[in-house]
Amino acid sequence: MDFKESTFMYVIALGVVAFVTLQSVFFIVKSWKHAKELGIEKETLKNTVVSSILFTVAPAISILATVIVLANALGIVLPWIRLTVIGNLAYETTAAQTAVEAMGGTLTSSISDVKQFSTVTWAMTIGSIAPLLMLPFVCKKLQKKIGNAVNKSESAAKLGDAISAAAFIGIIAAFIARAIAGTTSDGVGNAGFMSIAVLIVAMVAMVILETICKKFNLEKLRPFTMPIAMFIGMGSAMLFEAVLPENIVNFVWR
Amino acid sequence: MQKNYFDKVHRWGILWNIGALLMLLSIPVAVSVYFNAWPEINVLWSVLSKLMLLYWVTAVIEVITYVPMLGAGGTYLSFVTGNITNLKLPVGLAAMENAKVRANTEEGEVVSTIAIGVSSITTTVIIAVGVLAFAPVLPYITAEGSAFKPAFEWVLPALFGALGASYFAKHWKLVPLPVIIGVIVLIFSPTMGVGTLMFVTIVAAVAGVGVLYKLKWL
Repeated sequence: MDFKESTFMYVIALGVVAFVTLQSVFFIVKSWKHAKELGIEKETLKNTVVSSILFTVAPAISILATVIVLANALGIVLPWIRLTVIGNLAYETTAAQTAVEAMGGTLTSSISDVKQFSTVTWAMTIGSIAPLLMLPFVCKKLQKKIGNAVNKSESAAKLGDAISAAAFIGIIAAFIARAIAGTTSDGVGNAGFMSIAVLIVAMVAMVILETICKKFNLEKLRPFTMPIAMFIGMGSAMLFEAVLPENIVNFVWR
Repeated sequence: MQKNYFDKVHRWGILWNIGALLMLLSIPVAVSVYFNAWPEINVLWSVLSKLMLLYWVTAVIEVITYVPMLGAGGTYLSFVTGNITNLKLPVGLAAMENAKVRANTEEGEVVSTIAIGVSSITTTVIIAVGVLAFAPVLPYITAEGSAFKPAFEWVLPALFGALGASYFAKHWKLVPLPVIIGVIVLIFSPTMGVGTLMFVTIVAAVAGVGVLYKLKWL
């Protein structure tokens, strides 16, 4: 049997899955209890859960797709482990590629040398743990500072709100700027017709859905408008690809 | 009361954080011991020197950028489970927006933590089920030529379009500056990672607020 997919590797993976799930459950339970103490309605919390699940499904499937891509070279278990803890799409692919190439291989062919495999495992792990080394020292301090600054006075709170709104907008702006003018190192997802079209469809869908909610007083639908608008955007990508001529769909300016 | 709850969350968070570190480091150790295959130090170092230059520096920026927005519990969870920019952060933001609570309050803290926790479990389950059950089929769904491929290829513009629309309607004055700055940066450095780019656009957006506030346009 291939060592990359041996029972031993599966046991490690299941251990990692158990850890991550336990940590999540722990924090959900603690937060839920405290939410009750704060008097937040159960309905609000339930909506948070359901809309978070809906919002997660599609991005999670694209993460799964990365696992499959990396499985070519690394077997399915190591990418599974790596994308379950800390892992993110861009990082894991780059890390694996750098490691494999340094040893004269490519990500398109399967690694058959155990030593190479263990080197990749070490490199992917150590490369990604920096935030966990920092958090115990800085997280509390950073958040206390911000909390104190914001809670000082009424006008500080107002400015604080505006600043956190600005920070949210900064995040979204980074992705919009990418849709307008970005490229990726592997050339997938370069700015062009599709990136802008999907962005606009999702935005328009969101505005329409919110208007519908307001007009017909559909408070129940409100938490789901964002995931639904996202799915409409994704659906539009499939539609464009199916009906529009290839030269429009593939048109990129970056 | 306020001080108490946040203090508790940080204490739990740090404990889980240390646990996660130990667990993570034990993986390569276990692999090396079990297969009796330790990496050659010079090869590993040549790889790590490249990766660490890139990712340890980005990590500093990421920690500074995300920590104020994810809340305490959300931060400890997100940095362990990963996929922050493309998943945990938007999920947390959307949940606080829907529940009409503010970041950096106890209400915001519990709502974003629940959202991020649920999202982490969902992701873990989808990946696990996908790997165990659908691994043989999945390549066909996301393969070149599949009808579903474009949907996943463009998941990020769809996600941030949906999220952006509701924010932008409320805070339209703050939008143009960070977007323009982001585009300018990308014109000169087209492949800049989104983690670094985000730092630039957030600084631009916050600076914009400062100016608007001074001008009393807010």
